[in-house]
Amino acid sequence: MESKLAKQIRIWITIVAGAFILIFSGLGFGAKFIELIHTFTGESDGVFAITPMVNYLLATMGFFCMLIWATLNGMFNDVEGPKQTMLERDEMLDAK
Amino acid sequence: MTSSKTVQTDIPRHEDIVDERLVRWFFYASLVYMGISMLGGLLMAAQLVHWYPIQNIEFLSAGRWRMIHTNAVAYGFIANAFLGMLHWVVPRLTLHRVASVWLSYFIFFAWQVIVLSTAGGIIFGPAFQSQDWVMEAARNLHISMNLGAQGLEWGETPFWIDPVALLGLALVAFNFLVPISKAKGSLYVTLWYFMAAFVWTFLTYAMGNFLPEYALAGSSAGAVGGLFIHDLVGLFVTPLGWGLMYYLVPIILKKPIWSHGLSLVGFWGLAFFYPLQGIHHFLYTPIPMFLQYGAVISTIAVEFVVATVVINFFGTIWGDSRMAFKNLPIRWFYTGIVYYFITCFQCALQVTLTFQKLIHFTDWVVGHAHLVMFGVFSQWIFGMMTYLIPRLLKKDWYSNRLCEWHYWCSAVGVFVMFLDLTLAGLFQGYYWAALQPWEVGLNGSQPFWITRIFAGLAMFFGFLCFVYNLVMTMRKGESNATATATA
Ligand code: HEM
Repeated sequence: MESKLAKQIRIWITIVAGAFILIFSGLGFGAKFIELIHTFTGESDGVFAITPMVNYLLATMGFFCMLIWATLNGMFNDVEGPKQTMLERDEMLDAK
Repeated sequence: MTSSKTVQTDIPRHEDIVDERLVRWFFYASLVYMGISMLGGLLMAAQLVHWYPIQNIEFLSAGRWRMIHTNAVAYGFIANAFLGMLHWVVPRLTLHRVASVWLSYFIFFAWQVIVLSTAGGIIFGPAFQSQDWVMEAARNLHISMNLGAQGLEWGETPFWIDPVALLGLALVAFNFLVPISKAKGSLYVTLWYFMAAFVWTFLTYAMGNFLPEYALAGSSAGAVGGLFIHDLVGLFVTPLGWGLMYYLVPIILKKPIWSHGLSLVGFWGLAFFYPLQGIHHFLYTPIPMFLQYGAVISTIAVEFVVATVVINFFGTIWGDSRMAFKNLPIRWFYTGIVYYFITCFQCALQVTLTFQKLIHFTDWVVGHAHLVMFGVFSQWIFGMMTYLIPRLLKKDWYSNRLCEWHYWCSAVGVFVMFLDLTLAGLFQGYYWAALQPWEVGLNGSQPFWITRIFAGLAMFFGFLCFVYNLVMTMRKGESNATATATA
């Protein structure tokens, strides 16, 4: 059984890592997005940038919708639950 | 959350949901392609040191073997092995069988036809190219009728196979998404990765094979080509590979993954940051700097994501580290994870423009490619096979010692190859930067290229040990299979 301290460490690492990724990447992406708007409106290169950007948006938009759908459906209410269920099910499958 | 009580009553029998024969078939097919690919790699390596054994036969020229080498590995070995694993893991995680077992068998045969036609196109396509009827058809239909390899790295599948391959990928997605959609309760991270892989692989394949061929030209096509190469590794191989690791490591260690929350951070990080980074293959090209810097930033974001995944796996084995020595599948997996970390560390260097100036187009990149494709994903697959084959055949391995030989030859061989090519890349970069004549760089590369052959032979020997062991295991009499091989 996981000790209370170990549990807290795990939760904190998850939160810090998540925040770290979100804040720094968010800043990077935000800056690039503003740059895109400037490039698109001000430079001949701008139109060129469209193809990879549209590809990116297509690839990630679906996932963004899925993230929202999963959150609204309570998929992340018990974030650690599935790791136990998975192990239990697998053991039962072998036991049958 | 579904309680264990409800789960217990709902639980089906393994035999009713997993078709083990299909898993075996996919594994056997994948091993055949691995053998062919390694042979191709060895022949190409021999060509570079002027030892090419098959002279003057156009069909078997080194350039064609090189394409066979990479395509057989990606679409033959890795795709088949993953399909086999998916037929085991998805039903066990969702407790539902695939949408249709007949469809699975159809996919099995169709996929082999696709891979073999790709090989046929690469080897014989150029010879057909100049036939009168082909020229005539090209004129009448207004298409290039390029029957040989498509001029796109990793997308060499000839243009006439692309639509069939895409249809195959759609069927694969359908076959597995149906059971996933029926799964009850919150999804385990493996299933998130799998769902993403099915959608991404389809989109990536379509983007890479159709846009540069029919819709784009020049550096625009190059930019999409860059996205395609990287997305194929990152959005097809990586999610399936990590998804399988998240399933198998806890199962074998008999303890849950350290943090499911962190694994979801890793998954969603990959989903949002990975698709932009392909252009980092084309730094210093005519592609606008805006996009090049964008690729650099998203690559750095992915570095953070990777760190979370690696932390999670080391958190999981914490306290049980002796399993990495005692249990062979776990040893394969964790060796792959360490190599993965090394490749990602390399990426952090490679993605800087300063570093690119030195290593671009050198053997550094080839070393990196082997470490990731063989050192990580192929080693994981070998670990999966080492674990599953005794269960599938209901027999213990014929020889655990041969399993060990396979492991050591592969893990050491690929690491030597990686170090050797990394060094070769640095030397080549410096030769070129010093504006030495081309021959000087070529001659300077020879010792490294010779070393690569020996490293490759070691890997090939390890592989042959595995195949021999498998054949002998199949032939030996019934015995009680243990769940974990060589535990
Ligand atoms: C028997 C061992 C092997 C040998 C001797 C070998 C040799 C080679 C050679 C000579 C090349 C061409 C490099 C160039 O164009 O300069 C190559 C490319 C490549 N090989 Fe291998 N190979 C081996 C095994 C493998 C395996 C098992 C995999 C994957 C699982 C693999 C993945 C690749 C990839 C991805 C490339 C393309 C690299 C790039 O374009 O940057 N190789 N290999």
